[in-house]
Amino acid sequence: MLNKQIKNRLGFLLLLPLFILLSGCEFKDIDKDVFVAMIAIDQSDEADKPYKITLKLYEPSSSFKDAPQPTYSYLTQAGETLSEAIRLMEAYSDKELQFGHTKLIVIGEDLVQADKSKEILDFLLRRPDIQMIAWIAVGRPSAEKIIKMVPQGETSAYPELFNYFDHTGTESQYIVTTYLFNFRRDMKAWGIDPVLPIIRINEKDSHFEIDKSLIVRDSMEPHEFDPLNTSLYTMLTKGTDRADLAINEDDEYFIARIDRLKTKHSVTIKGGNKIELDIKIKLYGYISESKKNLDSKDLPFYNKLLKAESEEKFTKFFTDMKELGFDPLGFGLDYRSRTLHNRRMSKEEWEEAYRNAKINLSVTPQLKSTGSIQ
Amino acid sequence: MFSLEAVKWINDQFKQTNELTEKTLEYEQKYMQLFYLKPLIDREMLQNSVIKPFFEMASENQFKLYLHALPQFQEATTKEQVMREIMNGSVVAVIQNEWYLLDFKLSTNDKVNNTSVETTIHGSQLALSDNLATNINVIRSYYHQPSLCVEYVVKGEVNQHKVAIIYDKEKVKNGVLDTIRERLQNVDKQVVSSTTQLNNFLNNKRLSLFPQMIMTERPDRIVYNIAGGKVILVVDGNPQAVATPAVFFDYMSTMEDNYHTLIISIFLKFLRYAGLMISILLPGLYVGVTSFSPEVFRTELALTIAGSRVGVPFSSFIEVLFMLFFMELLLEASIRLPKAISATATTVGGLILGTAVTEASLASNIMVIIVSAVAISTFVIPVNEMAFSIRVVRLLFIFVTTIFGLAGLTLGLYVLIMYLVNLDSFGEPYLQLYTSPKNRSKWERKT
Repeated sequence: MLNKQIKNRLGFLLLLPLFILLSGCEFKDIDKDVFVAMIAIDQSDEADKPYKITLKLYEPSSSFKDAPQPTYSYLTQAGETLSEAIRLMEAYSDKELQFGHTKLIVIGEDLVQADKSKEILDFLLRRPDIQMIAWIAVGRPSAEKIIKMVPQGETSAYPELFNYFDHTGTESQYIVTTYLFNFRRDMKAWGIDPVLPIIRINEKDSHFEIDKSLIVRDSMEPHEFDPLNTSLYTMLTKGTDRADLAINEDDEYFIARIDRLKTKHSVTIKGGNKIELDIKIKLYGYISESKKNLDSKDLPFYNKLLKAESEEKFTKFFTDMKELGFDPLGFGLDYRSRTLHNRRMSKEEWEEAYRNAKINLSVTPQLKSTGSIQ
Repeated sequence: MFSLEAVKWINDQFKQTNELTEKTLEYEQKYMQLFYLKPLIDREMLQNSVIKPFFEMASENQFKLYLHALPQFQEATTKEQVMREIMNGSVVAVIQNEWYLLDFKLSTNDKVNNTSVETTIHGSQLALSDNLATNINVIRSYYHQPSLCVEYVVKGEVNQHKVAIIYDKEKVKNGVLDTIRERLQNVDKQVVSSTTQLNNFLNNKRLSLFPQMIMTERPDRIVYNIAGGKVILVVDGNPQAVATPAVFFDYMSTMEDNYHTLIISIFLKFLRYAGLMISILLPGLYVGVTSFSPEVFRTELALTIAGSRVGVPFSSFIEVLFMLFFMELLLEASIRLPKAISATATTVGGLILGTAVTEASLASNIMVIIVSAVAISTFVIPVNEMAFSIRVVRLLFIFVTTIFGLAGLTLGLYVLIMYLVNLDSFGEPYLQLYTSPKNRSKWERKT
């Protein structure tokens, strides 16, 4: 009994110094950290230092009521690698750079066009304090310019740019939101291609414009979506639950406001490396704008118009994608998930089959009202 | 069996004090000797029920029968018992070597108090009194069952306090009762003066943090606990009773939970457990999050905290300890102070110190908010004993978080839960949801 007690005490004494050595993270007070709001990665002009990194840093303030104007500081450095540039920047700052609050990573368009996204991704993923739920976007003309712009009316501590992506502020069908983890997953897997939003600044430098997007694939030239295609993409991927579709046919012109969308897509495998793409879309909504008087009795007719118009638009989108070889919705992934690995086409065969696939697209329109009280 | 020698022995025992009164009454061939301690007995009662009849009765035999019939009458067996009863306020009447013990104790402390520790809005506002007999009267008059048992044990070698063990024979777990009896036997203390002292004497542990008996002053809670198969211990001269075996969740419930409608009591319970979590974890969380992993915060909050810490000369854990220390001082001071001053003390301490500390930037604004939130949420814990334990646990968590960060806090919480799981209160696991009354099978109950 006594022996056991002594043993316990000895064990505890032995463990105690080990515990002290265990301290995992280091103790650092929060006021000795500086938080990075955004990272911009651009191509630099120097040949031996291809990457230019700009960091947007928050300036802490005890009361945001006293300081309504946002204050940021910036650090810029070019380096041979991203880590090198960041290491140099750490020497420029008096406080520890904290990437834990980095919500947005902007990559300069040049870098994306130069097919460097994979290398950048590698760095972003390996650094533990960069959150995988950060958004990733493409900056036009350069990422640095995007993050250095502070639009009018921005409140401190929460850059306006975040509101575009976090679905708590604006909810637009033209804004694609891509998370870092998603970007990485789509980039690595074959059968689906990531789409990145393009952030531009308007001519007067007063606000951002985010209505285009870029579909990227490793070792392929990125393809840019115009606003229409961007909105079709967000509708198809359920990136939005509200959208407008303009119908202009047979001297009828009205806007269908879609407030609920259902899309289903899958690959049907027909023997001999032949596939068909099935896409079923249901659009629920009402008419929000029209140049003529509309009658509720004619809703079936308007539905028909909506069906014809949207089918045409969606089919064109898919045909374009097919011909270019991009796969934004992940038909390839769908195919891979439903075939056994030994009976599966190779990547090259699949790409060939995808290019020649037949598209079966059907839209079920569900316009519920003409939007006016009669 | 009681001879003159016994009378002499008793006289010897009380030789030190001059308070033992010996009275000899003699009238018409009736002869009686009375012994009592004057300050302890009700003189009027003695006069009316013994002395007056003595002179009125015709014969000694009739008077003896009369004494037997008195409700205060008690059989005398040994001379030690007689001596003890004299000290408890009995009168000894000796007639022809026959001894009559009559309980004429004068109690000045038999008024029931108002509830002061466990105050409620609904339900009775009266608590127990300082008098054991009154307390048992209160309990019995709220619990009408013939199976209610009261056992008395005298504890405290010097002050010889009466301890009552109260339970419902039908409902109590025999194992628990035996353990309590056995441990009470082993209590070897000079002075036992409070019920809550028994908590330390009976749990067989030198260091214990969590109480294993629940202190209460409310008769409704006592009755509720007896009905739930618990054992109640009451010490004479104490307005509090303890109920045991107690589980952790007993400490988180008030009697009012039973008086409110279901949804309201669920809401109140939720508040209470939230308060418990806040008071345990919040200071540790502050240290862990600000100093180890600020990415857990929302960005705005991280920046506000970073901003409000500008100019604070201490590390976050010193800051927390510093403020908590003053809060604990304040709590302790307001208990000890007379009621009239304690309100001033809390104002000076809470309001003035709080603002002054932030203005002198000895602590950040957020810290003051956290400390006040912690203080308030500690008060939400309904049973005082648990609130004290939680205050200590909180400090341990700050310590662990300062060294190991948030991972340490999480592991610390696990360790706390493991410790609680390991604890038992008189054989009942501490973390079980309720104590089961008596392990009887169903068919047994039917027959």
